[in-house]
Amino acid sequence: MTGNLNTFAGSTKNPTGAVMVIGGGISGMQSALDLANAGIKVYLVESSPAIGGKMAQLDKTFPTNDCSMCIVSPKLVEVGRHKNIELFTHSEVKSLSGDAGSFKATIVRHARYVDVAACTGCGLCELVCPVTKISYFPEVPAEKEKKSRAKAKEKRLIKGPGLPHPTSSHKWTFSVDEQACSMCGSCHRACLHGAISWEKKQKAVIDQDKCTGCGACFAACPEKFLAIKVDGAPDLDKSIGAAVHARSEILGREFGRSKSGDSEQKDCIRCGLCAITCEKVMHIGALKMVEQGIEAGVDICQVCGACVSVCPVSFLTIDQVTSRTPRPLLNFFNEGLNGRKPINIHYPQAVPRVPVIDAASCVQLNTGACGTCATICGVGAIHYDHRETETEIDIGSVIFSPGIEVFDARMRGEFGYGLYKNVVTSIEFERLLSASGPTSGTVARPGDGQHPKKIAWIQCVGSRDHSCDRDYCSSVCCMYATKEAFIAREHDSSIKPTIFYIDMRSFGKNFDEYVKRAKEHQVRFVRAMVSRVFEDPLTGDLELRYVDESGKRQTEAFDMVVLSVGIQVAKQTKELAATLDIELDRYGFAVTDCYQPLATSRPGIFVSGAVKGPKDIPETVCEASAAAEAASASLAEARGSLISKEVLPPERTPGPDDELRIGVFICHCGTNIASVVDVAAVTEYARTLPGVVYAEHPLYTCSQDSQERMREIIEEHRLNRVVTSACSPTTHEPLFQSTLQQAGLNKYFFDMANIRDQCSWVHANDPILATEKAKRLTRMAVANATAGEPLDELEFTVDSRLLVVGGGVAGMTAAIEAARQGFGVYLIEQEPVLGGQLLHLQRSADGRKFADFLLSLNEKIAADDRIKVFTSSQVVEQSGFVGSFETEIVMPSGATRTLKHGAILVATGAEEYRPEIHGLGTLDSVMTQTDFETALENGTAADWHHARVAMLQCAGSRDDEHLPYCSRICCNHAIKNGLRFKKMFPEARVDVLYRDMRCYGLGELDYREARQAGVNFIRFDPEENPPAISTGETGIDITVTDPSIRLQVRLQPDLLVLSTGMKPRDTEELASMLRVPRNDGGFFIEAHAKLRPVDLPSEGLFMAGTAHGPKSSSETIAQAQAAVARAATLLSKDSKKLSGIVSRVDPTNCAVCLTCVRACPYGVPFINDQHSAEINPALCQGCGICVAECPAKTIFMGRYDDRNIRAKIEAYCASEASHSPR
Amino acid sequence: MLPCTGRIDESLLLKAFENGADGVMVIGCLEGDCHYVSGNIRARARVERVYAILERIKIGPNRIRMYNLSAGEGSKFAAFANEFVDQIREIGPSPINLVRAGNQGVTEKEAT
Repeated sequence: MTGNLNTFAGSTKNPTGAVMVIGGGISGMQSALDLANAGIKVYLVESSPAIGGKMAQLDKTFPTNDCSMCIVSPKLVEVGRHKNIELFTHSEVKSLSGDAGSFKATIVRHARYVDVAACTGCGLCELVCPVTKISYFPEVPAEKEKKSRAKAKEKRLIKGPGLPHPTSSHKWTFSVDEQACSMCGSCHRACLHGAISWEKKQKAVIDQDKCTGCGACFAACPEKFLAIKVDGAPDLDKSIGAAVHARSEILGREFGRSKSGDSEQKDCIRCGLCAITCEKVMHIGALKMVEQGIEAGVDICQVCGACVSVCPVSFLTIDQVTSRTPRPLLNFFNEGLNGRKPINIHYPQAVPRVPVIDAASCVQLNTGACGTCATICGVGAIHYDHRETETEIDIGSVIFSPGIEVFDARMRGEFGYGLYKNVVTSIEFERLLSASGPTSGTVARPGDGQHPKKIAWIQCVGSRDHSCDRDYCSSVCCMYATKEAFIAREHDSSIKPTIFYIDMRSFGKNFDEYVKRAKEHQVRFVRAMVSRVFEDPLTGDLELRYVDESGKRQTEAFDMVVLSVGIQVAKQTKELAATLDIELDRYGFAVTDCYQPLATSRPGIFVSGAVKGPKDIPETVCEASAAAEAASASLAEARGSLISKEVLPPERTPGPDDELRIGVFICHCGTNIASVVDVAAVTEYARTLPGVVYAEHPLYTCSQDSQERMREIIEEHRLNRVVTSACSPTTHEPLFQSTLQQAGLNKYFFDMANIRDQCSWVHANDPILATEKAKRLTRMAVANATAGEPLDELEFTVDSRLLVVGGGVAGMTAAIEAARQGFGVYLIEQEPVLGGQLLHLQRSADGRKFADFLLSLNEKIAADDRIKVFTSSQVVEQSGFVGSFETEIVMPSGATRTLKHGAILVATGAEEYRPEIHGLGTLDSVMTQTDFETALENGTAADWHHARVAMLQCAGSRDDEHLPYCSRICCNHAIKNGLRFKKMFPEARVDVLYRDMRCYGLGELDYREARQAGVNFIRFDPEENPPAISTGETGIDITVTDPSIRLQVRLQPDLLVLSTGMKPRDTEELASMLRVPRNDGGFFIEAHAKLRPVDLPSEGLFMAGTAHGPKSSSETIAQAQAAVARAATLLSKDSKKLSGIVSRVDPTNCAVCLTCVRACPYGVPFINDQHSAEINPALCQGCGICVAECPAKTIFMGRYDDRNIRAKIEAYCASEASHSPR
Repeated sequence: MLPCTGRIDESLLLKAFENGADGVMVIGCLEGDCHYVSGNIRARARVERVYAILERIKIGPNRIRMYNLSAGEGSKFAAFANEFVDQIREIGPSPINLVRAGNQGVTEKEAT
């Protein structure tokens, strides 16, 4: 496997400056954004009707418990509105031809039946659609226009507990059209109230006084005459289906129908809507009203469910009207836990928020009847004649990121999934936890809706399992199960969660702390493999059988069981890979090279995300950026050739006497806010505030349609200030501000109140108080917006050079890749040679020598004159700002040099930890894994044929006295060395003493191979079963209890190899110079743990490699490429705008007292030749310290000015008396 | 919400009391960990000055307090907020409020 070696090669001639990204999950979205923001046109192809992927389905994310939808939705919107990303949803790639640099792809857009451009996403179509089941349509559609209707042979009388109680509420008026009446008398016979007089050869007459409005006559009048007219029916002008829906809604409300469709009224109210729907909408005519209820022609019923869905009371059920088995129409976004309509919007925050019609269940598309949705659509967006279309696109590269599916838990029959209703999969449980899920975030058992108290998670269902050909570890299940248990208890603190696991693989950054916190929150962890699950058929409770750690067989009852299903590659993905001609491994994961982790077997096609092997969200995001870099490096010369720039309308300049026109948007955030805060009341209140001319409360203010609407409202109502009361400004303010700009408003005419975190979340148990607080926060935001001023954003040129600090594999890769992208690079390394930690390591995971790899990297760096290397050099001073930094370095000669550049990439790396334990450093028989690897490589080990080797894992990691974190790589490293050793010397003995074998992902395969090769694994627990180790000149002696045989074993190895872990290089000075934070372990902290894994919190600063956290060389290379992609979004621009929130001195009152000069932590203010203090806006960091210190109060700062803060304080306390005090 | 506690000054803190706050919490980064290097140290000094002023003008010094927290310490923030609210409840409404509107109840202002 050599992979796609031309990633590092020169660029193709005249490449196409566009990339096709396949898959619209978080991976595809990140790739698309990084590419599009760096001047590459993107075609994003997604097979489902909306982008978002698996992440949109998740409730919360580990280890920060961030709401998944909340953090992903700004990305959804950004992708949706990006000018240079063309979305192909509900589409698939049919073929790909050509070569790297100039591919041609054919994309099939499946018929959506809804015009994406015209649709407003109002959702009315979904509401009126009466169909709720998959119908039994005639097998061969009738060719003739007029087919004869089937006559019912089998009839069934449907009765309620009592007789029908006819209602005339909101009744329609029926009359006979004398012209059309053929005097047949059908209507007379159908009328149950004697309201129709008819005699032979006489036209029928309806007595309106006796008529109850049931419409029996209307349904009975033969199709060829249609002599019964209807009047007084709302929405009848649209269609009969729309009219039925309208009356059903009104009656439903009148009879107290709940959201779930239940009503107190169990008897038929003879509204006639079911029969009218069946006859006039569905053209079936299977239902007829009779004296005691409804007569159903059960054999001709198509089982579409329309009659049941229009019934305003709890009378009709689907089983009564048909003799066939109703087939549910399941909502796949909710993992089939609830139903949906044939026309539906994928999920509430979907982008595009446009429904799609399911051709398999839509009545109109199958029989030509119904068609209600098209009649109700106000913009005429529904077209039943849509056909699939093909589009051909030209692209330079392809990114393959179709994502994964979950394991089919039915394959592990012993757990009863699919048989026992209260056994669910972990992804189903995510939907149960989700506020926008089928239970609105209530943890309820699918079997009976009861709230479970004891919930068990079973790990490794479809992972690490040879029996069902899923030998690999799915990497994410340990953490997501812990998270689900944690969050379940947050929803209901009486829940007692138990997680049954084999090894706790919490190997990522801050994961161990998270598990520890979960334990503190009473999540119980049991190390055991569950052998079977039995259901108690009466209660639905579940009994689990397992063998505990002491070897005893245990039986324990639970209310609910969650199967932590692994991830796998879908069949369609494998087929697609065949179409693209890329190589997959036996499990379907894309095959890549460990030095080029993003390149597939076909040049020009790159891969990212879990389809390359199981991984979590931050790793996926990192790979997505890396794939974007890999895909665009060879297209660098075509950058900008196919993109269009966003043109903003000119900003309206407000006059000084302009009337204040404030618009306020109070967000429901689904149920996140609205379930606690009375948003309608807050909206009403907002209307009473001075200057507010418009207020509304959208379901999701941030959704694409709401933003479009906000833009329209700003224009329509000539708003000059906008306030949203929603979630966190940190995540959503930029989105709202860009909408303001698109509406021609300065983006600082905006303020945001966080009524989610500060009201609905913290005061979830006190809705009244939460609502009052929301009003108050809104009032303050309105006051602040009122005090707002338009601010200018300074535009400055971006220096396209990149400074890379650290010349290990991360820094070297980053330098080479940045140069390929066309940027100049300064590479600073403190050691005399490049290579970093890789100089001390021997071989890659696939057995190639790192020395050869380093040689090739060095050659590339030497050959590229865009890269300037400074070895034995150090950064001593750093100044400037994003896009225009200046860094001073000291070179070996002692001379300093100032480098100018636009971005900084920190790749300072880590080194092997060498603690003085067990005689390491003093005894030759005790060494680290790196020493051992070197011994295997350089011949020291040549005569170790019968050597006995003991390896001690976590010798320094996961230990509060040493490294508190998990070093991630040690388990794989030990296995790699153990296997190699056993292969060299099959007679030798290897014992690995471990706490949890964390061979995540495909590393599990090596773990299995090592066990098969005879490497012995002994688990220990540092608290309950610590190994007794004595080392000295006389030898090594280890005593430990092996839990698998429950006996004490004594080892007297010749060698003790310590897996000591990884510790970051000393970066204290650098960190303070760059003003970037580090965690307790000394690793740099990323801007966002999930979605910005390689960005540092300060703008223009990025990081890669082990400076971020322990990781393998392959992961380091990917991260270096990712960091370059992120930097490219900045460096590829000619200019950049700075924040408008900077300090400004009004010279009129400046006394030149130098207070600001002394106070500024960045030394920005200076005294200019006009004898006044001056602040360079490009250097100002916007802290406001000088504003507070200035004795003359002559420094002002954007929206954090005294007048703004004063306005907020005054508004906080204003009209106190009119509001209820606590 | 402020970019940095270094932005707040004595006049604004007093403004909150003037407008009827019974207590004011100022919450900044951990000392030595200020996002803007030293803003929280300056804020602490200003809070101490306001403390002295409140004492002098008999509003009560314990109505103002500076806390230091990191962004990851949500539960600690909640504990601090509860602690401060309890403290203010015990002291009772600010004399300004008592004089101005009779016994109207207790409120507190949080500024971060």
